[in-house]
Amino acid sequence: MGASTGPKLSGMQKEVLGLYRGFLRAARTKSPEDRRQIESIVSAEFRRNSKLVDRKNFLYIEYLLRRGKKQLDQLKSPGTVGLSSSNVNLSQTKET
Amino acid sequence: MASALRAAMLRHIRVPVQTLTLTGCNSQSRILCGSLRSMSSHGDDHLDKEEVIDRVLSVVKDFPKSILPRSVTPDVHFQKDLGLDSLDNVEIVMALEEEFKLEIPDKEADKIDSCNLAIEYIYHHPMSS
Repeated sequence: MGASTGPKLSGMQKEVLGLYRGFLRAARTKSPEDRRQIESIVSAEFRRNSKLVDRKNFLYIEYLLRRGKKQLDQLKSPGTVGLSSSNVNLSQTKET
Repeated sequence: MASALRAAMLRHIRVPVQTLTLTGCNSQSRILCGSLRSMSSHGDDHLDKEEVIDRVLSVVKDFPKSILPRSVTPDVHFQKDLGLDSLDNVEIVMALEEEFKLEIPDKEADKIDSCNLAIEYIYHHPMSS
Protein backbone atom coordinates (compact mmCIF):
# COMPACT_ATOMS: atom_id res chain seq x y z
CA MET A 1 0.00 0.00 0.00
CA GLY A 2 2.70 2.46 -1.01
CA ALA A 3 2.14 5.84 -2.51
CA SER A 4 1.20 4.33 -5.82
CA THR A 5 -2.48 3.72 -5.26
CA GLY A 6 -3.57 5.59 -8.34
CA PRO A 7 -7.04 6.90 -8.98
CA LYS A 8 -8.54 3.42 -9.10
CA LEU A 9 -8.34 1.12 -6.12
CA SER A 10 -8.38 -2.60 -6.68
CA GLY A 11 -11.18 -4.61 -5.10
CA MET A 12 -8.83 -5.93 -2.47
CA GLN A 13 -7.52 -2.50 -1.57
CA LYS A 14 -11.06 -1.29 -1.17
CA GLU A 15 -11.78 -4.14 1.19
CA VAL A 16 -8.76 -3.33 3.26
CA LEU A 17 -9.68 0.34 3.45
CA GLY A 18 -13.26 -0.59 4.25
CA LEU A 19 -12.09 -2.74 7.10
CA TYR A 20 -9.86 0.04 8.39
CA ARG A 21 -12.80 2.41 8.23
CA GLY A 22 -14.93 -0.11 10.08
CA PHE A 23 -12.41 -0.20 12.88
CA LEU A 24 -12.28 3.56 13.12
CA ARG A 25 -16.07 3.78 13.23
CA ALA A 26 -16.23 1.14 15.94
CA ALA A 27 -13.55 2.98 17.87
CA ARG A 28 -15.73 6.09 17.95
CA THR A 29 -18.31 4.30 20.03
CA LYS A 30 -15.86 3.59 22.83
CA SER A 31 -14.44 5.93 25.42
CA PRO A 32 -11.86 8.49 24.21
CA GLU A 33 -8.99 6.63 25.85
CA ASP A 34 -9.99 3.32 24.37
CA ARG A 35 -10.55 5.00 21.10
CA ARG A 36 -7.03 6.33 21.00
CA GLN A 37 -5.64 2.96 21.89
CA ILE A 38 -7.69 1.17 19.28
CA GLU A 39 -6.72 3.66 16.64
CA SER A 40 -3.04 3.39 17.37
CA ILE A 41 -3.04 -0.40 17.43
CA VAL A 42 -5.12 -0.77 14.29
CA SER A 43 -3.13 1.84 12.45
CA ALA A 44 0.18 0.26 13.39
CA GLU A 45 -1.06 -3.20 12.46
CA PHE A 46 -2.36 -2.18 9.06
CA ARG A 47 0.78 -0.31 8.17
CA ARG A 48 3.02 -3.08 9.36
CA ASN A 49 1.17 -5.57 7.23
CA SER A 50 1.27 -3.25 4.26
CA LYS A 51 5.04 -3.24 4.46
CA LEU A 52 5.60 -6.87 5.30
CA VAL A 53 3.07 -8.53 3.05
CA ASP A 54 3.55 -8.68 -0.68
CA ARG A 55 0.73 -7.03 -2.59
CA LYS A 56 0.32 -10.09 -4.72
CA ASN A 57 0.05 -12.48 -1.83
CA PHE A 58 -3.72 -12.62 -2.19
CA LEU A 59 -4.17 -15.65 -0.02
CA TYR A 60 -2.50 -14.12 2.98
CA ILE A 61 -4.23 -10.80 2.50
CA GLU A 62 -7.57 -12.55 2.35
CA TYR A 63 -6.71 -14.38 5.51
CA LEU A 64 -5.84 -11.15 7.22
CA LEU A 65 -9.08 -9.61 6.01
CA ARG A 66 -11.12 -12.49 7.40
CA ARG A 67 -9.30 -12.32 10.68
CA GLY A 68 -9.72 -8.58 10.82
CA LYS A 69 -13.45 -8.84 10.21
CA LYS A 70 -13.83 -11.28 13.05
CA GLN A 71 -11.87 -9.01 15.33
CA LEU A 72 -14.02 -6.10 14.26
CA ASP A 73 -17.18 -8.01 15.08
CA GLN A 74 -15.81 -8.78 18.49
CA LEU A 75 -14.88 -5.16 18.98
CA LYS A 76 -18.35 -4.02 18.04
CA SER A 77 -20.01 -6.14 20.68
CA PRO A 78 -20.74 -3.98 23.72
CA GLY A 79 -18.81 -6.24 26.04
CA THR A 80 -15.47 -5.52 24.45
CA VAL A 81 -13.73 -2.51 25.85
CA GLY A 82 -10.46 -2.39 24.01
CA LEU A 83 -7.77 -4.14 22.05
CA SER A 84 -4.33 -5.12 22.92
CA SER A 85 -1.74 -6.76 20.81
CA SER A 86 1.46 -8.50 21.57
CA ASN A 87 4.25 -9.05 19.17
CA VAL A 88 6.09 -12.27 19.54
CA ASN A 89 9.45 -11.83 17.96
CA LEU A 90 11.17 -15.16 17.78
CA SER A 91 14.46 -13.91 16.45
CA GLN A 92 15.38 -12.00 19.59
CA THR A 93 14.97 -13.03 23.14
CA LYS A 94 13.89 -10.01 25.06
CA GLU A 95 12.38 -9.77 28.47
CA THR A 96 9.62 -7.17 28.71
CA MET B 1 -61.41 47.82 -16.42
CA ALA B 2 -60.78 47.47 -12.70
CA SER B 3 -58.73 44.38 -13.30
CA ALA B 4 -56.62 46.14 -15.93
CA LEU B 5 -56.09 49.02 -13.53
CA ARG B 6 -55.18 46.63 -10.79
CA ALA B 7 -52.75 44.82 -13.01
CA ALA B 8 -51.15 48.12 -14.01
CA MET B 9 -50.82 49.14 -10.37
CA LEU B 10 -49.33 45.81 -9.41
CA ARG B 11 -46.82 46.15 -12.15
CA HIS B 12 -45.65 49.38 -10.61
CA ILE B 13 -45.62 48.27 -7.04
CA ARG B 14 -43.77 45.05 -7.74
CA VAL B 15 -40.77 44.62 -5.53
CA PRO B 16 -37.61 44.72 -7.56
CA VAL B 17 -35.74 41.47 -7.52
CA GLN B 18 -32.26 42.00 -6.23
CA THR B 19 -29.45 39.59 -6.43
CA LEU B 20 -28.90 39.18 -2.73
CA THR B 21 -25.45 38.15 -1.62
CA LEU B 22 -25.25 35.18 0.68
CA THR B 23 -23.97 37.14 3.63
CA GLY B 24 -26.21 40.14 3.26
CA CYS B 25 -29.51 38.48 2.58
CA ASN B 26 -30.45 37.13 5.98
CA SER B 27 -31.79 40.21 7.72
CA GLN B 28 -33.41 41.63 4.60
CA SER B 29 -35.21 38.52 3.55
CA ARG B 30 -36.71 37.99 6.98
CA ILE B 31 -38.39 41.37 6.76
CA LEU B 32 -39.54 41.05 3.16
CA CYS B 33 -40.92 37.54 3.03
CA GLY B 34 -42.88 36.46 6.02
CA SER B 35 -42.99 32.95 4.71
CA LEU B 36 -39.32 32.31 5.30
CA ARG B 37 -38.94 29.54 7.81
CA SER B 38 -36.79 31.47 10.20
CA MET B 39 -37.66 29.10 13.01
CA SER B 40 -36.85 26.02 10.98
CA SER B 41 -35.02 23.49 13.06
CA HIS B 42 -32.62 22.81 10.24
CA GLY B 43 -31.05 26.20 10.77
CA ASP B 44 -29.32 27.66 7.76
CA ASP B 45 -30.33 25.71 4.74
CA HIS B 46 -26.79 25.47 3.57
CA LEU B 47 -23.31 26.19 4.68
CA ASP B 48 -21.42 28.91 2.89
CA LYS B 49 -18.82 27.59 0.55
CA GLU B 50 -16.25 29.80 2.27
CA GLU B 51 -17.04 28.23 5.58
CA VAL B 52 -16.83 24.73 4.15
CA ILE B 53 -13.45 25.51 2.60
CA ASP B 54 -12.09 26.97 5.84
CA ARG B 55 -13.22 24.10 7.97
CA VAL B 56 -11.98 21.47 5.54
CA LEU B 57 -8.59 23.15 5.34
CA SER B 58 -8.29 23.41 9.09
CA VAL B 59 -9.11 19.72 9.52
CA VAL B 60 -6.48 18.81 6.95
CA LYS B 61 -3.93 21.15 8.52
CA ASP B 62 -4.51 19.71 11.95
CA PHE B 63 -4.05 16.19 10.71
CA PRO B 64 -0.94 15.08 12.56
CA LYS B 65 0.68 13.23 9.72
CA SER B 66 0.46 15.79 6.96
CA ILE B 67 3.90 16.87 5.96
CA LEU B 68 3.40 20.47 4.88
CA PRO B 69 0.53 21.95 6.86
CA ARG B 70 1.41 25.47 5.80
CA SER B 71 0.97 24.78 2.14
CA VAL B 72 -2.52 23.35 2.43
CA THR B 73 -4.66 24.94 -0.22
CA PRO B 74 -8.02 23.88 -1.58
CA ASP B 75 -6.28 22.12 -4.46
CA VAL B 76 -4.13 19.94 -2.33
CA HIS B 77 -4.12 16.24 -3.11
CA PHE B 78 -3.81 14.19 0.05
CA GLN B 79 -1.53 11.51 -1.22
CA LYS B 80 0.40 13.35 -3.88
CA ASP B 81 0.97 16.65 -2.12
CA LEU B 82 0.90 15.83 1.56
CA GLY B 83 2.71 12.52 1.39
CA LEU B 84 -0.08 10.55 2.99
CA ASP B 85 -1.02 7.00 2.20
CA SER B 86 -4.41 5.51 1.59
CA LEU B 87 -4.98 4.66 5.25
CA ASP B 88 -4.36 8.31 6.12
CA ASN B 89 -6.87 9.15 3.44
CA VAL B 90 -9.47 7.11 5.28
CA GLU B 91 -8.55 8.85 8.50
CA ILE B 92 -8.89 12.31 7.01
CA VAL B 93 -12.27 11.48 5.53
CA MET B 94 -13.39 10.22 8.93
CA ALA B 95 -12.16 13.41 10.55
CA LEU B 96 -14.15 15.40 8.02
CA GLU B 97 -17.20 13.26 8.77
CA GLU B 98 -16.92 14.21 12.40
CA GLU B 99 -16.35 17.89 11.70
CA PHE B 100 -19.44 18.20 9.53
CA LYS B 101 -21.54 15.61 11.32
CA LEU B 102 -21.98 13.52 8.20
CA GLU B 103 -21.88 9.86 7.47
CA ILE B 104 -20.06 9.31 4.20
CA PRO B 105 -20.62 5.89 2.60
CA ASP B 106 -17.56 3.87 1.67
CA LYS B 107 -18.10 4.21 -2.03
CA GLU B 108 -17.98 7.98 -1.87
CA ALA B 109 -15.22 8.08 0.70
CA ASP B 110 -12.95 6.06 -1.55
CA LYS B 111 -13.25 8.73 -4.20
CA ILE B 112 -12.33 11.63 -1.96
CA ASP B 113 -8.60 11.99 -2.17
CA SER B 114 -8.06 15.71 -2.48
CA CYS B 115 -9.29 18.85 -0.75
CA ASN B 116 -11.26 19.83 -3.83
CA LEU B 117 -13.32 16.67 -3.88
CA ALA B 118 -13.88 16.88 -0.13
CA ILE B 119 -15.11 20.47 -0.39
CA GLU B 120 -17.38 19.65 -3.30
CA TYR B 121 -18.88 16.63 -1.61
CA ILE B 122 -19.48 18.37 1.69
CA TYR B 123 -20.86 21.50 0.10
CA HIS B 124 -23.37 19.54 -1.91
CA HIS B 125 -24.39 17.27 0.90
CA PRO B 126 -27.76 18.36 2.27
CA MET B 127 -26.99 17.29 5.81
CA SER B 128 -23.74 19.15 6.43
CA SER B 129 -23.64 21.30 9.49
